[in-house]
Amino acid sequence: MKMLMILAWRNLWRNKRRTIITVASVFFAVLLAICSESFQRGSYEMMIDNMVKYSTGYLKVQDVMYHDEPSIDNSLLYDDALQSALKPYAESIDYLVPRIQGFTLVANDETTRGALLIGMNPDSEVQFNDFRENIVAGDYLESGDQSVLISSGLARVLNAEVGDTLVFISQGFQGASAAGLFPVKGIVRIRVPEMDRATILMPLAAAQWFFQADERLTSLIVMPNNPADTERLANAMAKGLDAEWFRLLTWKELLADFLKLMAFDVAANKVFLYILYMIIAFGIYGTVLTMMVERTKELAMIISVGMKRSQLAVVCVIEMVLMTLLGVIAGALAAFPVVYYFHHNPIQLSGELANVMIDYGFEPVMPFSMSAINFLSQVYVVSVISLLVSIYPVYKVYSMKVVESSKL
Amino acid sequence: MTKVIRTENLTKVYNHTVVPVHALGGVDLEVEKGEFTAIIGPSGSGKTTLLNMIGGLDHPTSGRVFVGDTEMTALKESKLIDFRLRNIGFVFQSYNLIPVLTAKENISFIMLLQKRSKEEMEARAIQLLQEVGLTDKADVRPQKLSGGQQQRVAVARALASRPQFVLADEPTANLDTQSAFNLLDIMQKLNEEEHITLLFSTHDQRVIDRARRVIKLVDGKIASDERR
Ligand SMILES: Nc1ncnc2c1ncn2[C@@H]1O[C@H](COP(=O)(O)OP(=O)(O)OP(=O)(O)O)[C@@H](O)[C@H]1O
Ligand SMILES: [Mg+2]
Repeated sequence: MKMLMILAWRNLWRNKRRTIITVASVFFAVLLAICSESFQRGSYEMMIDNMVKYSTGYLKVQDVMYHDEPSIDNSLLYDDALQSALKPYAESIDYLVPRIQGFTLVANDETTRGALLIGMNPDSEVQFNDFRENIVAGDYLESGDQSVLISSGLARVLNAEVGDTLVFISQGFQGASAAGLFPVKGIVRIRVPEMDRATILMPLAAAQWFFQADERLTSLIVMPNNPADTERLANAMAKGLDAEWFRLLTWKELLADFLKLMAFDVAANKVFLYILYMIIAFGIYGTVLTMMVERTKELAMIISVGMKRSQLAVVCVIEMVLMTLLGVIAGALAAFPVVYYFHHNPIQLSGELANVMIDYGFEPVMPFSMSAINFLSQVYVVSVISLLVSIYPVYKVYSMKVVESSKL
Repeated sequence: MTKVIRTENLTKVYNHTVVPVHALGGVDLEVEKGEFTAIIGPSGSGKTTLLNMIGGLDHPTSGRVFVGDTEMTALKESKLIDFRLRNIGFVFQSYNLIPVLTAKENISFIMLLQKRSKEEMEARAIQLLQEVGLTDKADVRPQKLSGGQQQRVAVARALASRPQFVLADEPTANLDTQSAFNLLDIMQKLNEEEHITLLFSTHDQRVIDRARRVIKLVDGKIASDERR
C-alpha cells in the first residue's frame, strides 16, 4: 500500500505544470463555492436568527385557533394546569417566553398610529433577544412597570421622547374595550426594520390588564436547551398537551413560507455551482485522458512484469484523489480567512439594495456563515467528482491489452 | 536436464486484419534450464509473437505453453499475472522501467509485488545492482540513465524475482555497440555463473554470435535450431 501511495504521489508530479493547473482549477472552484455558499447561508442564517429571536422562537405553544386567526380572543390560559403540563419537559427546556400581543392604536397630541403591542416578561426577554442592549434612550422595563418601550422608528413618526405619555386604544379579550395611558420609559432599536417601524413593548402584567385578559397569553415561546432538538421536544410535548386546546408550532412551521423561498434560492445557487463543478470536472477529465494516453506503454509494461490490474487501478484512483484533495484542502484553507473575516465583519449594504432589503423587512447586513457544512459539502462534491473521473483510468487499466498497448 | 519451457504446436492467427496473418504456424519448442538461446529471423517472422506467448502476455490461437509443470495457457488472467510475477523475468526493447522510481526502487518493485521481506529486498537489490555494474546509480531515476544503463537495470529487475527464466525481446536493439556488448557480457555472465535461463530475440549479428543456441524463425515456423 505504501508503494502504491509513493507511485501515485510521484506520478502526480511528473508533469508539474499540468498538475498545478488542475489543482488550481479545483482550488478556485472550491474557494468560490465556499464563499458563495457561506455568504448565502450566512444571510439566511441571520434572517432566520432574527426572526426566531424577535418573533417566533424555536417552539411556540398557542391556542389551537391562534395561528389561523391571530386575535386576543384566541389566546390561551397560562394557568397552573398548563404550567404543570409543561413540568415533565423542564429538563429539555431552557426557558419560557410568555407573550401577549395584539394590535393597538397609539396616539399622542400630534398623530395616531397602528402598532404591534407585545406584552412580555422583561426578564425572560433578556435571555431571548437583545431588546435591552438596543435601548437607545431611557431604560429597559421592569416587570412591575406601568410604562412602555417604543421602537425607534415609531418614536420618530410619533415624534415621541422618553417621558412622554401615549394613549393606547384597542380591543380587549372577547370584545372588552381596551384603553390606557402609558408613559414611555425607553426607546429601543429593533433590528428587523419592519418591526422597528411600529412596535411597543409592555410588561406582561400591564398588557394583560390593558387587554383585559388576565393570565392569558397569545403565545408561549419555548426555548429548548438544544435548538437542534426542537422537533423531538415538540413531538414529546404534543403528547402532554391537549390537542383540542393547544397547538405546538416549531420555527420551521412558523417560517414555512420563508424557508421554502430560501430553499429555492439555495437550490438556484447550487445549480450554478454544479455547472461550475461540471466545467472543472471536464478539465480534470481532459488531464486524465492525456495522462493515460501518455502512459499506455508504461502501464502495459507494469502489468506485464506482474503488477495486478487492481493494484494499478488503485494507484490511478489515489492519483485522482490526491490531485483533487490538494485543490480542496488549499481552497478550503484559503476560504477560511475570507469567511472568518466576513463573518465577524459583515458586508454592510448601502444605497438602493439596502433600501430594498429594508423594504422587505431585512437588515441590510450580509454576514458569512461559519457553518462547517459549507466546507464539508465542497469536500463531498469534489470527492464525488474525483471518483467519477477515476472511472476512466480504472476502466482503461482493466480493459487494456498489454501486447497491443506495448506496441503503440 | 529439466525443461523450463515447452510449447506444443503453437499457432497464432491475427484475424482482425484485412487478410488474416498467420504469425505463428505450429511452433514446437523446448528450452532447458540454463540455456542461452537467441531467436532470430527476418522482420515479421514471429519472434515477438512467440516470446509474448511464452511470456503469457498473449493467448495463442491454438497450442499450449508449459512453464515447468504448469500449463500456462490454461491459467486465468488473474492467476496468469501472478504466475508471470513469480516465474518469468521480462526485458523489453524499451519502456522497461517505471520513470518515477529510482534504479534501485525499480528492482525492488518486483520484490515488493512478491511481498518479500524488507531486508531481503534491500540485499538483493544491492547485489543485483552490483552484478550489472550500476551500484553508483542506485538512486538515479531512469531518465538520467543512458539507454544501456536502463537495459542493465531492466535485466537486474527481471532477475529480482528469481524467475525460472528471462525473456528479452530485442534487448539491444536501441543500444550502441559498446552498450550492447556490455549488456551481453552481463547476460552471459549471469547465464554461466548463475545458470539463469535466457531466451531472447534479436536481429543483431553480434548478439547471435554469443548465443549458445540459435533458433531461426521464418514465416512463423522454426526453420533451424542449432546448439553450439
Ligand atoms: N497485433 C497484431 N495484429 C495483427 N498482426 C500482427 C500483430 N502483431 C503482429 N502481427 C503480425 O504478425 C507477424 C509477426 O509479427 P512479430 O511482431 O511477431 O514479428 P517479429 O519477428 O517480432 O518482427 P520484428 O523483427 O520486426 O520485430 C507480422 O506479420 C506482423 O505484421
Ligand atoms: Mg519483434
